[in-house]
Amino acid sequence: MTVHAFHIFDRKGKTLFTKRYSSIVKNQPVQDAELLSEQRKLIFGMLFSLRELVGSLTPEGESPALHSVRTGAGTLHCYETISGLRMALYTNNNPNMGSNARNLDTSKTSFQNALKHIYSELWVDCVVRSPLYRPGDIQVDGNGNDVGRFDIRSTNFEKKLDAYLASMPWFR
Amino acid sequence: MSSKSQAAQAGQALWAKMPKANAELFALTYGSLVTELVRDYEDPIEVNAQLDRIGHSIGVRCVDEFLSKADVAGMGLTTQCQNLRDTAEVVAKMGFKMFLGIQAEVGAFSQDQRCFSIYLQDNPLSTFVELPEDDPSGGEDLRRLKYSNLYCGVIRGALEQVNLKVDCNIVRDTLKGDELNEIRVELKEVLADGAGDDYKEE
Repeated sequence: MTVHAFHIFDRKGKTLFTKRYSSIVKNQPVQDAELLSEQRKLIFGMLFSLRELVGSLTPEGESPALHSVRTGAGTLHCYETISGLRMALYTNNNPNMGSNARNLDTSKTSFQNALKHIYSELWVDCVVRSPLYRPGDIQVDGNGNDVGRFDIRSTNFEKKLDAYLASMPWFR
Repeated sequence: MSSKSQAAQAGQALWAKMPKANAELFALTYGSLVTELVRDYEDPIEVNAQLDRIGHSIGVRCVDEFLSKADVAGMGLTTQCQNLRDTAEVVAKMGFKMFLGIQAEVGAFSQDQRCFSIYLQDNPLSTFVELPEDDPSGGEDLRRLKYSNLYCGVIRGALEQVNLKVDCNIVRDTLKGDELNEIRVELKEVLADGAGDDYKEE
């Protein structure tokens, strides 16, 4: 069981952070950056439309929130904050939950908790509090031609994220 | 209303968990910032605008911290704020309490429920501050300076991130002789969540 990828989008759909963990990529040629960016746009579009749909489907009084999208190949776990930050974690379908192999419910809640933890402990602590952070002006890809845009590599968000995900029993 | 005391309790709990800074250092740092701005811009109206801009920048960052801490505290904010009244309570009781440690009250809701006021008994920013008297020989009139205009920017920036466009003004100020500080907040519009430029159809 592996985590394949992790993306963070802002309210407008701009990608704030993206990382691929998959080891299967060595069988495929390196994907074009264009293609990956298109893929991310599609993911955001799907999350956006689903949120509208879920909002209209939910009965009165319940809180509408999309937890995950499950396909034959993998599951996309999502978490969205009220400020519009969306996080998406794409994993394999049968997570190894550690010592007890439980039913699907606990695996869902534990992913939600993990995403919540990533938001509150890692994102807020490392990125929002960084003095260089400028919402709306983040550059994702490493080919930095524009000076003065915030580069997420100036914080240790990625290192902390890797350490946190590696400590989860369902990571590998 | 049970939500009022819930918000107050949650605010108390959040304040307890936040790292604290020295209140005097805070007030004096803000004071020197305002002094520099006055020296640079000279016109108090311009200084007010700059303070609002700085506050906006702060608000945009504070809202993420607030939402993440409040979520973890189990407040379930998505179900809590049904209308502007709830939002006002949350901003005053939880937001101000969490970041500044002060007790703020809400009141003076307008007829159409689109405006409200936040009252602050003591203002930690203006601890050692005195505004100078009117200068009879002309020069800039510092009585027009809104010393705590930072708060207006913070509220504006924070609410903008949750799709509420508001206008904030300081209407009463203890530095000018009133008995408490009052910030008037007006809802201009509720913004719709939209996808950005990348997604515009051709």
